[in-house]
Amino acid sequence: MSDPTVVPWPRPVSAARPESVLTVDDILVRFQTRDASVTAVDRMTFDVRHGEFISVIGPSGCGKSTLFNVIGGLITPTSGLVTVAGEPIRGPHPAIGMVFQEESTFPWRTVLDNVAFPLEVRGVSRRVRLEKARDVVAMVGLTGFEGHYPSELSGGMRQRVSIARTLASEPKILLMDEPFAALDEQTRLLLGDKVLQIQQTLKQTTLLITHSITEAVQLSDRVVVMSYRPGRLKRIVDIDLPHPRTSEIMTSDAFGHYVAEIWGDLRDEASRGMAEAEASRGART
Amino acid sequence: MAETRTIVALPITPRLGAVMRLRLFLILGVLIMWEATAASGLLFRDVVPSSVTVVRALVRLLIDPDFWGNFGVTAGEVLAALAIGATAGLAAGLLLGASRFLGRAYEPYLNSLAPTPKIIFFPVMIMAFGVYAGSKVAMGALSAFFPVALSTAGGMREVDAALVKVGRSFRLSTWQMVTKIYLPAIRVPVLNGMRLGFGVAVIGVLLAETKLSNQGLGYLVMQAYARFDMPQMYAILLVVFAVAVALNAGLGRLTEPRHRRT
Repeated sequence: MSDPTVVPWPRPVSAARPESVLTVDDILVRFQTRDASVTAVDRMTFDVRHGEFISVIGPSGCGKSTLFNVIGGLITPTSGLVTVAGEPIRGPHPAIGMVFQEESTFPWRTVLDNVAFPLEVRGVSRRVRLEKARDVVAMVGLTGFEGHYPSELSGGMRQRVSIARTLASEPKILLMDEPFAALDEQTRLLLGDKVLQIQQTLKQTTLLITHSITEAVQLSDRVVVMSYRPGRLKRIVDIDLPHPRTSEIMTSDAFGHYVAEIWGDLRDEASRGMAEAEASRGART
Repeated sequence: MAETRTIVALPITPRLGAVMRLRLFLILGVLIMWEATAASGLLFRDVVPSSVTVVRALVRLLIDPDFWGNFGVTAGEVLAALAIGATAGLAAGLLLGASRFLGRAYEPYLNSLAPTPKIIFFPVMIMAFGVYAGSKVAMGALSAFFPVALSTAGGMREVDAALVKVGRSFRLSTWQMVTKIYLPAIRVPVLNGMRLGFGVAVIGVLLAETKLSNQGLGYLVMQAYARFDMPQMYAILLVVFAVAVALNAGLGRLTEPRHRRT
């Protein structure tokens, strides 16, 4: 399935690699605006392997958030398939747990009740779900804040609540869209360490959408690089850095080498995006 | 020699005290002017009775079982009106707020009917629901419907799209979306709508009672007026005012932001 040109359509399910838990198969998303149709994602194909941490990186406006919504089942692609364990998804899939970029904790629920939410809607008994939620809250390092409301927490703590809430639903694949985008850099690094530590402990298959090269290299086993609009697959970079990893890896030569390599891929795309954004701004005025 | 300076945090209480003092000044000022007018004899007898007379009338009123009977009638009418009007308003608001199509179609009606004085519908209500409590409840319910419907619909549109996405990603049923996401998210605007709705329901019921009735506080006021018993009329107004303020404060408490249980 690595070379989409040779495999005939429709591809047999058995062609998926045994260890891949999710495949993004020839996804095309086209939006119809009033006077034009815009291709947001153009024939993206890659797979997510069991237990890996994979990042999708691209310049602003490359359609990576659209791709996130397609994999999460919130947007139906114009064509192409997302499959989980060989089964094509239609709408949000129970195996996929989403963490959003925006603030998304329920302000009227305490930390513990926020985290227990996915279990509550599944009808898990109060005792069991609170016990489970307490474990996950501890995992993200928020023990002692179970009874707090989100308004009493910092942005970084609230984002940890969101991650914990999704983890509590025990997804096969953790799907995150720039979960640290609104945070300051230092918090972001520390939170990255935390997420990586949890991912390693749980062997949690994780797909992270990001625009930060350092974040992608710091956390990932593989990095999917997307081009500027229409978002196409540019390259998949294997990050061969040892585990366990922390943000300290940023000082190593190998890290710098990977960052430079991905930036080399992204530079042209990003400047193309910037030029187009500026041109459209100029045309509007 | 370095000068040591102690920085003393300014206590906040004196400023709060100043606000309270200013408030009390106003009440005191009004009372003094009231008493002065009452004593001056400038106005016709008892239009502005001495506050002592009013307090005496208030005491007489509060120990009169007949008053409590009428109070109960009005309270029951207002509560029934609020229950009917707010439920209908909530349902209408949820529908109009959830569907952009329905909202665009029908909200202009709501917006233009909301500021219309509902008392003009009273003759219709009398014919439809009779001269007794039914028409009063109908007036109150009609009044309460609009603020609740409008603020619910507005609240629905303000619901954070991210929370709705969370609900969808966890595959909530429509019922769960309503009860676990939309209703808690619109709690504050709905309660504010109910506060307004409560206010106008009281107005609707009392106004209807003053027009045509044989029981209730509105009826008592009109009777006192007919007998030119101004002290009693003011006493009833004070009771209505006190009840309205207390209930409004109670509802207001429910809209305060949530904090940790201690």
